Amino acid sequence: MNLEPLKLKIARLSCERDYRLLFDSLAFTLDAGSILRVAGKNGAGKTTLLRTIAGLYEIQEGEVLVGDQPVSEAMHRILYIGHRPQVTGDLSVLDNFKYMAGHDDTSLKFALDSVGMLSYHDSLVKELSQGQGRRCALARLWCSDAPIWILDEPYTALDVSMIKILDKKIASHVANGGICLFTTHQVPTLSEFQTLELGCVN
Amino acid sequence: MRWRWFHQWGSPRWFYERAGRWQLVCGWLSLGLIAVGTIWGLGFAPVDYQQGNSYRIIYLHVPVAFLAQAMYAAMSVSAVVLLVWKMKIADIAMQSIAVMGLAFTALALGSGAVWGKPTWGTYWVWDARLTSMLILAFLYLALIGLRASIRDPDQAGKVCGILVLVGVVNLPIIKYSVEWWNTLHQPASLKLTEKPTMPASMWIPLLINILGYYIVAAYLVLGSMRAILVARERRSSWVRELVRRV
Amino acid sequence: MSIEKRILARELWLAAARPGDIVKPIWFLLLVISMVPLALTPDSDSLAEIGSAMIWVATLLALLLNSEHLFQSDFSDGILEQYLFFDRPLAWLVGLKLTAHWLLHVLPLILISPIGAVMLSVPGDVSIALFITMLVATPALTCFSGLGAALTLGSSRSGILGALIMLPLFVPVVVLASGVLVRAMDGSETLPLLALLGAFSVASAILVPIAVSLAIRVNIGGSN
Repeated sequence: MNLEPLKLKIARLSCERDYRLLFDSLAFTLDAGSILRVAGKNGAGKTTLLRTIAGLYEIQEGEVLVGDQPVSEAMHRILYIGHRPQVTGDLSVLDNFKYMAGHDDTSLKFALDSVGMLSYHDSLVKELSQGQGRRCALARLWCSDAPIWILDEPYTALDVSMIKILDKKIASHVANGGICLFTTHQVPTLSEFQTLELGCVN
Repeated sequence: MRWRWFHQWGSPRWFYERAGRWQLVCGWLSLGLIAVGTIWGLGFAPVDYQQGNSYRIIYLHVPVAFLAQAMYAAMSVSAVVLLVWKMKIADIAMQSIAVMGLAFTALALGSGAVWGKPTWGTYWVWDARLTSMLILAFLYLALIGLRASIRDPDQAGKVCGILVLVGVVNLPIIKYSVEWWNTLHQPASLKLTEKPTMPASMWIPLLINILGYYIVAAYLVLGSMRAILVARERRSSWVRELVRRV
Repeated sequence: MSIEKRILARELWLAAARPGDIVKPIWFLLLVISMVPLALTPDSDSLAEIGSAMIWVATLLALLLNSEHLFQSDFSDGILEQYLFFDRPLAWLVGLKLTAHWLLHVLPLILISPIGAVMLSVPGDVSIALFITMLVATPALTCFSGLGAALTLGSSRSGILGALIMLPLFVPVVVLASGVLVRAMDGSETLPLLALLGAFSVASAILVPIAVSLAIRVNIGGSN
């Protein structure tokens, strides 16, 4: 499956929170097939930057272009997985997934199988461990058509085997012409990526 | 600092200093007007042939009742300015006006009750005007409560702005529905409207007082805006400098 | 499945998974109705006079009670922010959610009202008028209570704040409904007032979801 080649362009992006300038006149362009790791200390504005690029935060200054559209009109081309669970405890793994991601049962089960959660597909999410819940949220990567992935701390609470699976998935996504932005505090095990270090402006 | 302040109006420091000067002018002007209007109204205006001297509370009641509603209008304008042009000073105005609006509404209800006792023998009746005034008070209270519950001032401002605008669309509907409700349940036995044939010596001081109260409202709102502005900008360099000077 | 179907189906399954959310407001409604004769008088003539209004007010409070959770859990789970990534306007999706809420959480309250009417000796024709009034008026109330829930999403410990904020805006609906009930008790024409109530509901159903979606966007934008 090849994705349409798409550029993500960030221009003059600035953001201030609580009287602190998190980033100022940030500008970069990500071509199809690139991975960007956003690094920085706690409170450096990593989540703010990712959420701004994803279109969840109002842009204070500057612009974010997906292809040639502003991000507010192109959010359906983005898959965003943030800190919050993105799953509802009271629904089963498969139901959670079915109603948020769409798709037919076969591809959903394939996705769950890929993250090793197929045998739990009819358990309620609230009965799972934190790491298993995280796996469920990440399963959406296996049935998404969105070319741009924005993943905030995707490695949190994952074991070594799942980290490998996730790395492989991200690598195959960009090999198909996708773009991936992510943050992590762990040393990334991905083979090739660019890094953006936040926290240099004052 | 990279605020989206609107030209000069948007500069917090500029506003703080200008507002201080305007406040001074408003303060003295309103003091003079209210002194003239009140002394004239209470001491020299003729006695009402029906209500006697008790009518004189209109020199307080009518201006504050006007203001109670005018404040909501002013707040709606601020809400539009905030939501459309993202001007932060409009948010501060909204916050100040909500509190003052509640104060004036409470004063209007209170002075109305005091007037009601000698005139219709009771402090409270479920008259259309009183009822819509009461609902207005609840709306002001809602805005204050909503703002108090949200930690981030920017977010609180936008959320309150939405509520203000929903309220302004609803207020006329509330007013008409309450008037209609009143005719449904009660024969119009009590007329609250002042007699239109008021002699000039009665209404001129009233007019002076209305003007005076409008200006005193501006004085109060400006003062409260300055206080909120300084509190919100407490970490900025100009406020620190200000504190050092004092 | 289209996005619309998925959202509605999800609400249905969630309601099935949380039966307490449906039962508790009904329970509350029946309790309040039981308190009326205990606090006032068991005399059926006096009850009949105020019964319909009491049921109406109790339903109003029950409706506010259950709207508190309308968006809260989806908001804190991060589901609501995913709605922004769907290729649909948020106001439309919010409208769907409110519709599902009306069907699953408000309609049961209306269906229970005839039992309340019997408990408070409300005459048959008035209780029919009450039932119809509720059907016509509750869409507007659902929209407004949804707005209250959306506005208070960002507040810590919001509790009943959403209800306190929205009750003043219920006034036109309460007043018109009381008009219908008064006329039903007189035996005079209620249709024009019902039409007016219906118009208010339709207008609210169109306009309020826009305000709700704005409030949700602001609260998503302000949270970490």
